[in-house]
Amino acid sequence: MPRPIAALLALTALTSLAGAPLARAEDAQQQKIDDLTKKVEALEQRVKKDEDKSLSHWLTIGGDYRFRIDSLGGSVPNYYQYTGPTSMPVAAPGFDPKNDTLMTNRFGLNLKAKATQDVSISARLLMYKVFGMETSAPVNAGFFADRMQTLDGTIGHVPIDNTLRVDQVYATWNNIGGQPIWFSVGRRPSTGGSPTHVRQNGDRPGNGGVPGLLVDYAFDGMTLGVAPEIDALPGAFGKICYGRGFEAGYGSGSNSLNDTEMLGFQLVPVDTDPLRIDFQYNRGFNIFDNPNAVGNQLGDMDWIGVGLLSTLKKVGPGNLTSFASGGLSMTHPNGNHALLAGAGSPDSGAGLLVNGPDTSGHTGWSVYAGLRYDLPTGTKIGAEYNHGSEFWMPFDPAADDMWTSKLGTRGNVYEAYLIQELPLQPISSFNAKTFVRLGYQYYDFTYTGSNNWVGAPVKISDLAASPMNAQMFAPLKSAHDIYATFEVKL
Amino acid sequence: MKRAAAVVLAAVRVMLVVLALGGVARADETKMVGVITKIDIAGQDAKVATATLRDVKTDKTVEITVHDDLTLDKFKDHRINEGDEIRCRYEVKKGKNVSTYFRKTAGC
Repeated sequence: MPRPIAALLALTALTSLAGAPLARAEDAQQQKIDDLTKKVEALEQRVKKDEDKSLSHWLTIGGDYRFRIDSLGGSVPNYYQYTGPTSMPVAAPGFDPKNDTLMTNRFGLNLKAKATQDVSISARLLMYKVFGMETSAPVNAGFFADRMQTLDGTIGHVPIDNTLRVDQVYATWNNIGGQPIWFSVGRRPSTGGSPTHVRQNGDRPGNGGVPGLLVDYAFDGMTLGVAPEIDALPGAFGKICYGRGFEAGYGSGSNSLNDTEMLGFQLVPVDTDPLRIDFQYNRGFNIFDNPNAVGNQLGDMDWIGVGLLSTLKKVGPGNLTSFASGGLSMTHPNGNHALLAGAGSPDSGAGLLVNGPDTSGHTGWSVYAGLRYDLPTGTKIGAEYNHGSEFWMPFDPAADDMWTSKLGTRGNVYEAYLIQELPLQPISSFNAKTFVRLGYQYYDFTYTGSNNWVGAPVKISDLAASPMNAQMFAPLKSAHDIYATFEVKL
Repeated sequence: MKRAAAVVLAAVRVMLVVLALGGVARADETKMVGVITKIDIAGQDAKVATATLRDVKTDKTVEITVHDDLTLDKFKDHRINEGDEIRCRYEVKKGKNVSTYFRKTAGC
């Protein structure tokens, strides 16, 4: 054997002898890696399980606190006071109601729980009270129907007491059949709708809510909605909404009352930052005379509205939000009159925006427009204007105004405000913020009966002309409210 | 209530037609509903972001590249956050899943 070959054979033999333990070491190392991989995977599974069970995975908590101080003043002209169906009205001298300081506390707690895949429950608990009082008397001063008493749909939206009440609670089933369809039922988010969130410094509306000009009332009801994926119509959605405003109960032979119901259809063809368009049609059936003591039902009403909302970024140093809404209300009186104090009480002589034997339907209209300019410093400056005609009658009694819902005013309302957000780092959520708001509202009433669907309106300038123009509520000619708030949103 | 029923039926018909017209994805697109587990975006001037979604049906994670300004704005001012459920359509371009539709699942 030649020497080089012998050397090669010897080297091979040595290598194989040395390679055996090396291969065993590699196998052991691979085994360790496999074991570690399994452990990591198991750990990941456990972490995922823990994450899935953690509160933050299925429960979201939010809310807000607001301190508010109002300084209110108004002017009531000479008028005739209604004193009953069988007695003559009496002449009442004008006066100037005033409240230098009215302070309120409002606390809201929001919960959203994901129960199962595609099903969640949302709730908002609300406490709203006047400083120094455990009743709503200081804000139910007898000037307007929407502030004469606390209604089912205004509870929590006008100050009452320190009870934390369920303002909203509803279950939503999303992605029905794998499609962008949802069904939602419960006490609805039918208050504070677009564009009233602008002056409240609230979040832009999503698929929930109603147009603020037509409806601001906490309804128990349901919604069926669809948000189709149409590239040319970003954010588009439509929904059918139903609400019950009064439940007549089992009834008896003498009970002729029906349930009071509201049916609505909303179409939002575009919902983007630069442009949001909404159309709304509502019909109210069997409108009650007095929701807390229903004695009679006065007929039906239709509402139609359209709204535009736009936020343009970097208009000068800041962002500009603007909006305009228009609405129509149409009455269909049935000839019934409101009873003065529920079933069996005397006939008031007044029907659905009509008096006496008149059964004419009336159409009212309204416009609402506003601007808000947001500076990078957190300063937001806004102004709003709305006008309602003689027969304008929206369903807005839960609105966040002290005198009366400004959007239900038959006349003009002017409002200007300034919001200053404090430059503080958010902690509870990305969107947490603290701000102060200063504002001024001026109401210029042209006709009586703002936010009241019972009886024919009377021109303010004609109030003293005839006892036939008598009023149940002291009619304000003008009113103002200077307000300031300190607000924290979680 | 007959008139009410007629209004509801008409509205349902309109909604079904709209859904039929709008609910179809293009052949090269993939549709999914997923929960955002991570958002990567480089500051207020970013022109692109990456969102990681966990598919609610398969539990698999998918990285979605987002270019459209409307969605980027929502990332930047936290109207869309981690934990939000998203209805998404995307197509594969140069190895990336590029969003063609990215929106929070509808409902209230």
